[in-house]
Amino acid sequence: MNPTGGGWVIMLTIALAMLLAVAHLPADAPAWWGWLRPSWLVLVVFYWVMALPHRLGMISAWIIGLLVDVLYADPLGVNGFCLAALTYVTWSFYERFRMYSVAQQGAVVFLLVLGTEFVRMLAQHYGRNGALSWGILIPAVTSTIAWPLVAWALRRVRFQFAVE
Amino acid sequence: MALAIVSALLLVVDLNSRLLSPLRSFLATIVSPIYVIAESPYRVSQSASATLSTRETLIKENEELRKRNFELAQVTQQFVALREENARLRQLLGSRQRLDSKVLVAELIGVVPSPTTFQVEIDKGSDAGVFVGQAVIDADGLFGQVVEVAQFSSRVMLLVDAAHAVPVQVNRNDFRSIAAGTGRMDRLELEYVPITADIRVGDILVSSGLGGHFPRGYPVGEVTSVVTDPTMTYAQVAARPIAALDRSRHVLLVFDANAQVKDKEEPAAQQARAEAPAEEPQ
Repeated sequence: MNPTGGGWVIMLTIALAMLLAVAHLPADAPAWWGWLRPSWLVLVVFYWVMALPHRLGMISAWIIGLLVDVLYADPLGVNGFCLAALTYVTWSFYERFRMYSVAQQGAVVFLLVLGTEFVRMLAQHYGRNGALSWGILIPAVTSTIAWPLVAWALRRVRFQFAVE
Repeated sequence: MALAIVSALLLVVDLNSRLLSPLRSFLATIVSPIYVIAESPYRVSQSASATLSTRETLIKENEELRKRNFELAQVTQQFVALREENARLRQLLGSRQRLDSKVLVAELIGVVPSPTTFQVEIDKGSDAGVFVGQAVIDADGLFGQVVEVAQFSSRVMLLVDAAHAVPVQVNRNDFRSIAAGTGRMDRLELEYVPITADIRVGDILVSSGLGGHFPRGYPVGEVTSVVTDPTMTYAQVAARPIAALDRSRHVLLVFDANAQVKDKEEPAAQQARAEAPAEEPQ
């Protein structure tokens, strides 16, 4: 048996997602490659909330979001709000999302990532003079493509370490 | 709902004031190891290539460095003489002498991975005396400024970030302007340049030091295009940053000595001015 229910596994996967989110490309890579990065954190948080809704609540998602704000140099509170809202939406519909096929879940991921990226862009725009662009569609698309892989990997991790 | 309100509150306070910077520093101290780990593959490959490079390459590199060092030493000799002369002339003019700035070398340990934000993480923090607003330069020119300080690391905003602007002047004729970042790595724009201003492609822009943030006289950019449309009030002037923003691995934090200049130098300057006429006939 697993006394802590594998809470450390969840934390570790989230830390890994943060790591992937800031791992940068070689200096000679073209700059537009930066746009292709999937929103690893959204994927990981979405998976855990859907699979184990009682393990990851809105408060913890919000605290993770605060750390991400500092990590991404976003205004404080943006990612906290995004991740908490994402948790709320997923938590409300998790039974339905679980029944979906991987492709349908991918569509949900597309909308969730688009939503979070949109909020981030708005905050950057009004707070720091950032540009509004359609570029936010790109991480949404790449996250959708990455979703089956992430879901499969996290599923393996969940059963391997008996996270419940 | 409560979380949404707290988020909105944090957002507004963070965007409009510096009240939350202790909280940001605290959180940054927690997350900075993530940057260190993310950067480690590059560090490993760097040190591996350093240990595995051949004797010939090392000898060649050594020779090149020696040559460059020799050239720079010659420039420094001139520089010392010119600095003395400049100090004497400034004293004659009665203006304050500018002291040398102290610098601290820092290494990049991470790049904030958003295509729209231009910030990097460096390995010196509040324990090394880094402060928010400090100017950062690299070997070629002005790099950016410190926007967030954690205990052992800090965040530097590059001067091409859309939220960044630096007061500059044209080196050729001291024409003053403001170089604003555009959110593109290779482009700065000069703001409020009248269409009649004397500014040409190829002009070098240096920091003017007028904002009080940046030390004076560091190269900022080179003018790449000037569009003057007679129907517009302002000319559109674009410049290319001189610092190697996407290649530098080492940067220098400038501790500006201007702030430490005391008024006690004033009497000496006045004395010098009084003596000046006597020296003129020579």
